[in-house]
Amino acid sequence: MKHLDIEDNQVIDRYVLGSLPPDEAAEFEEHYLSCQQCLDQLALAESMQRGFKRAAGQDVARIAATRQLALVAWLSRLSRSRQAAALLLTLLVVAVVALPGGLALRRLGQVDRELAETRRALEQEKERSAASSRGTADVEKLRSELDANRRELAQEQQARAQAVQQLAQAQTPQANVPILFLDAVRSGSSQEAPPFQLRRPSGNGWAVFGLQLDPPLAPSYQATLRDSRGKVIWRGPGLRPDERESLSLSLPGSLLEPGDYTLTVEAAGSPAASASRFSFRVLPPG
Amino acid sequence: MMFPILGRSRAPMSTDAEPEPAEAEVAADLVRRIAAGDASAEEELVRRYSRGLVYLLRRLGASPELADDLHQETFRVVLERLRRKGLDDPAGLAAFLRGTARNLMTAERRKTARRRTDADDDELAQAVHPSPNQLSSVLHDEEAEIVRTLINELPTDRDRQLLLRFYVAEEEKDAICAALALDSLHFNRVLFRARQRFKELLERFEQRQARSRAS
Repeated sequence: MKHLDIEDNQVIDRYVLGSLPPDEAAEFEEHYLSCQQCLDQLALAESMQRGFKRAAGQDVARIAATRQLALVAWLSRLSRSRQAAALLLTLLVVAVVALPGGLALRRLGQVDRELAETRRALEQEKERSAASSRGTADVEKLRSELDANRRELAQEQQARAQAVQQLAQAQTPQANVPILFLDAVRSGSSQEAPPFQLRRPSGNGWAVFGLQLDPPLAPSYQATLRDSRGKVIWRGPGLRPDERESLSLSLPGSLLEPGDYTLTVEAAGSPAASASRFSFRVLPPG
Repeated sequence: MMFPILGRSRAPMSTDAEPEPAEAEVAADLVRRIAAGDASAEEELVRRYSRGLVYLLRRLGASPELADDLHQETFRVVLERLRRKGLDDPAGLAAFLRGTARNLMTAERRKTARRRTDADDDELAQAVHPSPNQLSSVLHDEEAEIVRTLINELPTDRDRQLLLRFYVAEEEKDAICAALALDSLHFNRVLFRARQRFKELLERFEQRQARSRAS
């Protein structure tokens, strides 16, 4: 740090005033630790600033005292009658300006307090109203949720009753169950209409299919029922053939809309090309 | 070992003063010699930095007594370190001294704060207020009087405004220059002359005081 810079930038005065930025102050402190010139200037700057502040403080106090003294001196120079007049005038000023002013201020204070109380009451009322609105909305919401839950419960009860009814019917012995023995369709055979037909069972009736499988038999099969458009209607894995090398399936009549069907039976783990296909037609109930 | 607080009388700052060897060179030399066990280098270090160190400690808020104690402690810490293993950056001796003094002052403040938590209220109430002594009060009054003389001697109202704004209102230089339509050079000149005049008047007062004490 050079003395020319210190002088030009009022570093000493600003350091004493405390207005030097921290990094500049640190640099200057490292400089003045060994600089007697700067230490002399620092002492001088402190003395000068102290002098300015003290002089300013004393002058302000002196001006205030002078004003008070001037008023007293002016009053003392007046004759008794004028002093009395000045006193009267002062009292008049108090009576005309200060007193009504004070009363008005007091009244203003009361009005302010009343206004504040009214505002507080209004705020409380608003809060109560808001709380009440919130409560009504909550009740409405809960009520609608309860209605929805009731509707869902009724639907579930209805579905459960239907299921129970269907189960009961399924467990009831049925007569005249249609039975269809199907032979596999050989590759290369061009049949325009499926050779096997059955009437759709009425109501909740079932149909039984006996499928003749080609040896050698696999331990388990997967059967897939498709309609004429190729849409899978049902799929049953893990089906085991009986000792007569055939596989029996019973299907509910509800699965079998009138139309042509293909039943594919393939051994588990074998390529799809080795699957056996069976075709049949379902006719409307008679 | 006691490290005396050394000072010098006021000297005007002048840019054409006899140039001193660069601080970095002197500091590096001192560090090297102290590490080599040169006792005269230790004395030189104390002589060189003592006054600045006390001033720094007072600026940091230490009382005269505390500044004296911490001044001793700073030199003890720094000399022990220099004797033992020198400094990584010998040219940074002033920074090391400054840092040590600041750390000691901070530690002292913490100690005082801890003590304050269990202070005796009655004892505090009876404590004497550290009011300035009579001599310093006279000096401060004289400083104010010198400032009044100085202000009255100024040739223009603008220069008076400049000094009052800078020293009393503590406005920045740029703001004062803008408000009074002054350039930086003029500002510096007025401040420099005011300081010189203040110094002259203060020295006259000190001489009068010295004469009255002698008689």
